[in-house]
Amino acid sequence: MNDRWTDRLSEYLDGELGAADSTALEAHLPTCTDCRATLEQLRRVVAQAQGLEDRPPTGDLWPAIARHVGVVSLEARRARRRLSFTVPQLAAASVALALLSGGAAWLLERRQTAGPRPTATSATTSTPMLSNVGTYEANPRYAAAVANLERLLARGRSRLDTATVRVIEKNLGIIDRAIRDAQSALAADPANSYLNLHLAQEMRRKLELLRQAAALAGART
Amino acid sequence: MYMELTTPGVATLRRDLDQAARDAETADVALAASGDGRAFERLYRTHVPRIHSLARRMTGDEHADDLTQDVFVRAWTKLSTFRAEAAFGTWLHRLAVNVILARRTTLGTERGRYDDTENALDGVASRPHAAELSLDFEEAIGRLPDGARQVFVLHDVEGYRHEEIAELLGIVPGTSKSQLHHARMALRRHLER
Repeated sequence: MNDRWTDRLSEYLDGELGAADSTALEAHLPTCTDCRATLEQLRRVVAQAQGLEDRPPTGDLWPAIARHVGVVSLEARRARRRLSFTVPQLAAASVALALLSGGAAWLLERRQTAGPRPTATSATTSTPMLSNVGTYEANPRYAAAVANLERLLARGRSRLDTATVRVIEKNLGIIDRAIRDAQSALAADPANSYLNLHLAQEMRRKLELLRQAAALAGART
Repeated sequence: MYMELTTPGVATLRRDLDQAARDAETADVALAASGDGRAFERLYRTHVPRIHSLARRMTGDEHADDLTQDVFVRAWTKLSTFRAEAAFGTWLHRLAVNVILARRTTLGTERGRYDDTENALDGVASRPHAAELSLDFEEAIGRLPDGARQVFVLHDVEGYRHEEIAELLGIVPGTSKSQLHHARMALRRHLER
């Protein structure tokens, strides 16, 4: 059934019917079963539309997008690096590695014989880049991601040259200090959006640096 | 007497986490705008379900992947124009609507888009295939004529107003209202089965 009000029901439902028409329709509804039923069904349609859940695409579209925008994914970079080594390069690398290992052993031996600094020595020689500042309890997923990357980095650390290790350590130290400073400032002023943003950026930067370092060390993230 | 129904600490924690998520996204937008591909990938992973769903509902399954890629490629090139007055998600969504609507002509979906007769919508409800009985609501939306579907998706799913829809589609608000009502009526009859 279709009366003069049927085509106005959506407008009524959306609150877009004028005051006079709304009053007239509200007077009509108690007397018209069809309009009442239709209005209820339209309400259900709207509710269903508003309750639709978003679904991701079935396939991963990122590789194609990355190609289009000229972004090289970490995975692709690793693959390229793995494939790009030539035999002479590998030979040169093994010579360099041997020299570095020898140098590191010599340094270690020298440090051990230089005098008693047991605490500092054990702290720096065992896991120098792995010190967790221990301040991320509020964000367990972040802390877990950092811990995981640090573990991977520790595992692949021997593949990095000492200069690289030094740069990574230095940068991690700077970032950790920035994180601690931001956290201290936030403790005094928790609603400060600049500090929140700064902290988020520093935490993100630490994660990024660890990811890069772990990738460089040949670890799998 | 007033009763406190929520724990203040939980509400504060939730607010803090929301703020942290927004901050992290802001940081990613800034990183991506400076050329950081991994930051852009994180933005992609966060927003792709919404953008892909919008494309699928507006144009159908077969074009959704293509359009989603276009949206993100366009977003990458336009990131420098993003101003943080609005949320990144809102900006991206608006960009997606523009990309999708701009592609209607190429896709040939403009045919019948402003068909204002109820006859154009009858097929949604009266197609006699048994398989249709099992169509879900999304599929029923996909069977609407283009114009009615776009207005329905923009208004009832995405929350646009008729004036905004009219501007986006190049029609008058009255046509948008009429298309919306026809779409709802067709879907209502489909749901009755």
